[in-house]
Amino acid sequence: MPIMRNIAIKHKLILIIMLTCISALLLAGTAFIVWEWSSLRQAIVQNLSTQAAMIADNCKAALAFKDIEDAKGTLKALHVEPSIVFGGVYTGSGEYFAGYYRDRIDSSVRPSELKKAGYCFEGGFLTVYKPIILDEETIGTVCLRSDLRPMSVMLKRNAGIIIAVVLIVSLIAYLVSLRLQRIISGPILSLAKITKAVSEEKDYSTRAIKHSNDEVGLLIDAFNEMLEQIQQRDMELVDAKGKLEVRVEERTAELTTTNKQLTQEITVRKEAEKQLRKAEEKYRMQFEGALDAIFVGDAVTGVLIDCNPAATKMIGWEKSELIGKHQRILHPPEKIEKGFSKTFKLHSNNEQGQTLETQVITKSGEIKDVAIKASLIEIGGKKVLQGVFRDITENKKAEQRQAQLLEQLGKANKELKDFAYVVSHDLKAPLRGINTLVNWILTDYADKFDQEGKEHMALLSRRAERMHNLIDGILQYSRVGRVQEEKVQVNLNELVRDVVDMVAAPENITITVGNELPTIECEETRIAQLFQNLLSNAVKYMDKPQGKVEIGCVEENGSWIFNVADNGPGIEEKHFDRIFQMFQTLSPRDEFESTGVGLALVKKIVELYGGKIWVESKVGEGSTFLFKLSKQRMAVKNSKPKTDAVTRR
Amino acid sequence: MRTKAYNLIVLALVMVTGIISPKARANSATSEEYQVKAAFLYNFIKFIDWPREKIADSNYTITIGIIGKDPFGNAFNPIENKHVKGKDVIIKRFKGLKELEESKEKNKSVPHQQIEEIRKCYLLFICHSEKQKLKEILNMFKDHHVLTVGDTEGFLEAGNIIEFVMVERKVRFEINMAAAKRAKLKIRSQLLRLAEKIIEEK
Repeated sequence: MPIMRNIAIKHKLILIIMLTCISALLLAGTAFIVWEWSSLRQAIVQNLSTQAAMIADNCKAALAFKDIEDAKGTLKALHVEPSIVFGGVYTGSGEYFAGYYRDRIDSSVRPSELKKAGYCFEGGFLTVYKPIILDEETIGTVCLRSDLRPMSVMLKRNAGIIIAVVLIVSLIAYLVSLRLQRIISGPILSLAKITKAVSEEKDYSTRAIKHSNDEVGLLIDAFNEMLEQIQQRDMELVDAKGKLEVRVEERTAELTTTNKQLTQEITVRKEAEKQLRKAEEKYRMQFEGALDAIFVGDAVTGVLIDCNPAATKMIGWEKSELIGKHQRILHPPEKIEKGFSKTFKLHSNNEQGQTLETQVITKSGEIKDVAIKASLIEIGGKKVLQGVFRDITENKKAEQRQAQLLEQLGKANKELKDFAYVVSHDLKAPLRGINTLVNWILTDYADKFDQEGKEHMALLSRRAERMHNLIDGILQYSRVGRVQEEKVQVNLNELVRDVVDMVAAPENITITVGNELPTIECEETRIAQLFQNLLSNAVKYMDKPQGKVEIGCVEENGSWIFNVADNGPGIEEKHFDRIFQMFQTLSPRDEFESTGVGLALVKKIVELYGGKIWVESKVGEGSTFLFKLSKQRMAVKNSKPKTDAVTRR
Repeated sequence: MRTKAYNLIVLALVMVTGIISPKARANSATSEEYQVKAAFLYNFIKFIDWPREKIADSNYTITIGIIGKDPFGNAFNPIENKHVKGKDVIIKRFKGLKELEESKEKNKSVPHQQIEEIRKCYLLFICHSEKQKLKEILNMFKDHHVLTVGDTEGFLEAGNIIEFVMVERKVRFEINMAAAKRAKLKIRSQLLRLAEKIIEEK
């Protein structure tokens, strides 16, 4: 039923009910009509047969005694039955005996058509034949003919009634089914609606409402149960999905991290490889391009494995000749011990990394002095000794020459120093004589000189004095470094106090010590000279009415930084270096009677102790001389500081 | 139409022949008339019930007796060997009393054997020749339940039961019910209905 497939269940139900109803009605109606038709026929046959039998019985005598009138009279009784159109009595030999006609004579039965007994429907008539039996002997036949039209009219009428009934009942059935189908289709439709809603909106929380306890109810129950399960599954699924997502995210993150790490690692490794390659190349380049000869030999067997061009150049052998040979061929026999060179043995044992001197012998037999620095390395799991050979033949020669030169230089220097001392010393004596003479002349001829003479004499005396000072300075300068003094503990506080006293500054200049000065181990005289020169310079060049000189010391990075600050004229920056040079003065010599030796001497002393001296100054505001001495160098040992006063020499 | 016309013609012919040839029928009139009468006789048996003792007497046969000068000739031929009420029909002819008187003048009385025979008959047709002896004959089988049939005039008045009469040239009959009752015969209504005249009991 393909049509049935596509129509709504409601219509299906109605259709089913209607079809069932109508077919049942039609069947029943048809059966009824057929039954009625057949029973009507039977009845009519029966009726007519009875009539015929009665006629036959009544006509017996008439026929037996050939009384036509009587027979006719009997037949006349048929007129009460309107459907009977003809009745006839025939003799035993089939001859017409008597008859009855309702309307038409042509409805009669001809003797030729006569049958002994039975009936037949023919031409719209029912014809019944009945034998007339008298005492077991057939003496004739009665024939009755009935018009069937009333019957068919009746049948038609009944059929019409049935059709009408069918139509009315169908209508009622339709109306009833229209209402009753809801009992079945209602729940199913609502279920279908819910199913559709569920499938479209994916809302598994909706539930179908149960209306009845029949199969549809069971279906709804099952559906609801199913929905519940689905909902549960859905929730589980969502949950699982969430978990999965989280896990996937986590994994992805992990993976990303790992990947990143891996990438980094790869990059690092690549970089490392690159570096390694570069290093190798570099090594190879260094190896090949090294100025020093490099030999590589098996640390165990001593067989040579590699060498660089410098090596072949040094030894005179070709590389191909060297590879595979024992390392001992490189050295002269006196440097060989137990089959190996002495240095090889030493290097491959505990002297690894040390520079050892020995000799090599070239192909041509030339002996060369070399310094070898060898290190044990591993190449391809094999321990090898790589030795760097430096030809020190020339160095040795140069060293010898230098030593000779130094010796000569020392001699010359000593001679010069002695000379300077002697000269200075010897110069002092006549100078002292000149000064004495000047004093004498001034004393003796005081009245003889005029003012100009007296001034010239004073000038002479001052110049002699300056000369004296100069010579003293040179002497002192030359003594520094030349003459070694005993190093003693010196308390600088005391030393400086003494020096200040000695400088004897004028009234308008105050010299102060800013803070506690340390006790150091040194040559006392030198340090005294140092401070004296600095202080006397400050006093000497002071141009302010209230002069101030301050001595201080600070500790910094394991050193002492001493400073001597004044508020004098200051020094231009361009002169900062010049002032420490010998015989350099910034002002005319005559103005301050300066020798230009003081600061040079100071610098020399400081440098003698490994220190450093420098100046900070601003013109017109003052200068600060600073010097730094290493604490370590000047460290006080556990001995009592010497408190003796510095004496001028 | 043809059938109707044909029927009419046949009917007309039958009627014409019946009317226009009475003389022609005269020769065979006796036989034809008596053939009908013979058939009637035979049929009477079917419409009349005899009392039980009569039936018990004659086990297997029904005897039709004819007494006197037989006018039937061979009219009984179609009837002979027929069965009525399950019994064979036998025709027996008896000499009439007049005949007997004439032939047996010396022996005036009717033979005993014949009387017995007559008494056994179910039906006795008394011929025209026995017109004078009706009383005598009737006395012979008094109380023996014999249906007496005749065509003699005044037959019923003589105490007989059925008398043939000719009505419009057709054989009809009259019935004497009183006589029938006397003979203890039951005549069926069908037969009575056909009777031209019925004489009731006085």
